[in-house]
Amino acid sequence: MASVSIRNVRKSYGPVEIIKGVSIDIQDGEFVILVGPSGCGKSTLLRMIAGLEEISGGTVAIDDRVVNDVPPKDRDIAMVFQNYALYPHMTIADNMSFALRLKNTAKSEIAAKVERAAGILGLGPLLGRFPRQLSGGQRQRVAMGRAIVRDPKVFLFDEPLSNLDAKLRVQMRTEIKEMHQRLKTTTVYVTHDQIEAMTMADKIVVMHDGIIEQIGAPLDLYDNPANMFVAGFIGSPAMNFIPGSIGGDGFTTDGGDRLPLAGRVPAASDGRLAVYGVRPEHFRLADEGMAAEVVVVEPTGSETQMVLRPLGGKAGQVGVGREDRKRELTWVLRERTGAKPGEVVRIAPDPALAHLFNPDTGLRL
Amino acid sequence: MSILTSSDRVVGAASVGRTKRLRPSYWPFVVPALIVVIGVIVFPWVFTLWMSAMEWRIGEEQRFVGLQNYARLFTDVRFLEAMLHTLVYTALSVLAPLVLGTAAALAFNTKLPARGLLRGIFVMPMMATPVAIALVWTMMFHPQLGVLNYLLSLVGIGPLQWVYHPSTVILSLVLVETWQWTPLVMLIVLGGLAALPTEPYESAQIDGATAWQRFRYLTLPMIKPFLMVAVIIRTIDALKSFDILYTITQGGPGTASETINLYLYSVAFTYYDIGYGSAIAVVFFVLIILLSLILLYLRQRSAWNTGDGQ
Repeated sequence: MASVSIRNVRKSYGPVEIIKGVSIDIQDGEFVILVGPSGCGKSTLLRMIAGLEEISGGTVAIDDRVVNDVPPKDRDIAMVFQNYALYPHMTIADNMSFALRLKNTAKSEIAAKVERAAGILGLGPLLGRFPRQLSGGQRQRVAMGRAIVRDPKVFLFDEPLSNLDAKLRVQMRTEIKEMHQRLKTTTVYVTHDQIEAMTMADKIVVMHDGIIEQIGAPLDLYDNPANMFVAGFIGSPAMNFIPGSIGGDGFTTDGGDRLPLAGRVPAASDGRLAVYGVRPEHFRLADEGMAAEVVVVEPTGSETQMVLRPLGGKAGQVGVGREDRKRELTWVLRERTGAKPGEVVRIAPDPALAHLFNPDTGLRL
Repeated sequence: MSILTSSDRVVGAASVGRTKRLRPSYWPFVVPALIVVIGVIVFPWVFTLWMSAMEWRIGEEQRFVGLQNYARLFTDVRFLEAMLHTLVYTALSVLAPLVLGTAAALAFNTKLPARGLLRGIFVMPMMATPVAIALVWTMMFHPQLGVLNYLLSLVGIGPLQWVYHPSTVILSLVLVETWQWTPLVMLIVLGGLAALPTEPYESAQIDGATAWQRFRYLTLPMIKPFLMVAVIIRTIDALKSFDILYTITQGGPGTASETINLYLYSVAFTYYDIGYGSAIAVVFFVLIILLSLILLYLRQRSAWNTGDGQ
């Protein structure tokens, strides 16, 4: 087990800078997830930790040893790839023992380690098969087994569940988390799926466009997003953003509705333009709330998602222009509802759970 | 409701009838190909089999002799020698292009400068006419006038007899075959290398495999199916080889480079012993089929890239 320290790391391909100075401290035994949209540089950062990409600037240290120029095999890491990267012509047992055989490890030790990893992952009956004879989930488990037998200081996962179907993804998520709880090996995990990040991580690093937007515990990011990007990225369905201005003791939307602020009004901000952020589950029905037309009702069984179009001073009109769509809100309610498209509901956000953002910088006020 | 049902039934019946009436007969499409296959492939083989059971010399009376021609093969020293020459020539003509072609493919698979141009030059021998190549090589092999001995003399090696000596003739012919067909193996293997997944290599890098270990444990096993294809094509081609051998040596000196193909040609068209020649042809055909089946079986066994997702 080991700590990983990433200091001001940069990566450029020619004149294009992909990672623009990133610093992360990963504690011994921690499960850290790098999350962000496609192209944000998270996989590149992981590959730099692995040694598969050169580092253009800054340092990566594993257990206080800078590994910038250390070849991957000497970094004492193991990596699980999105496409499993199994050796297609080798049996599962050979796949799992390949690294140990290269190191001329004693046969008895190899057998013991493979057996232990196979036991952890339930791969025992599959050891004699070839990768092509396994399902996606089994292949991914073999990829993890191959990492486990090496007993590395750090596990690196590069979107390992992206090729699996939704049900299997949930199952494998649990298995990976269980494995981490059991082995307590420092883990860096890359995903674009914020649900994976929320459910598995000790610490989430939200990346966007080559920079870190925020680092924190999952619920911390959910409850206290540093900016609109994190607020919009973490949480599903995404947070609602309502543009408007701060005035008096409340917030006036561009549509003319008044929203409560619960004493969170920053000083000397009367009349200031802002964005009101409220999560879909933080609305409730309220007689004094803003009127909104029901556009779509999506019952999922456990909850109901509703897309609403605020009428904001235009009560009675039904607008379907692009601007009206932009203003659409998502409301998630646990209760079942008989609301139908076209009906008008009145909803109000819970002011204690709402956020205000600077519309120019995106930062939380 | 009942009206709808009955009209449905009427429409249904009509459509079934129409299908039956208009059902196309596929025979007109099959017959031309069938005639060609029977005329060009089946008939010659049946006729050859029939001829092989006859004592059939041109200008003499034909006589049914059963398996006598086949029995004669086992005591015919020249045939047995030709068989040995064929097997040695084939083995070397497969092995040498395979090793060199694989090495060339590995080289062309890297980011060489002017890779496209070099690859174009490299595949040129494959495009040349065998008889023309054979004539050029005959001149190069000449012990006194040939350029090969001149080149050897530059590095201090004495002149060789090349195709003019029984001990070097097969190796010299293999040299020509290798020169011409290494590019084909290179192209097949290069295609295989381009199709290999990249992730296992990154994984192996992390696992600590050296460049040699990556080649030995990943590349080589993964391109095995492609190597097998090259082996199959080369084996069949080398077994059948005639043009280069006939043009350069005609089986000589003596019968030192006489393969089954050349011997068969001599028996049938020099000695006009059509019956015995046919028996040789049948044995040769069976040999090719057997070798091909073995190689196809091995090719199938070496496949790793079947099944989904890999």
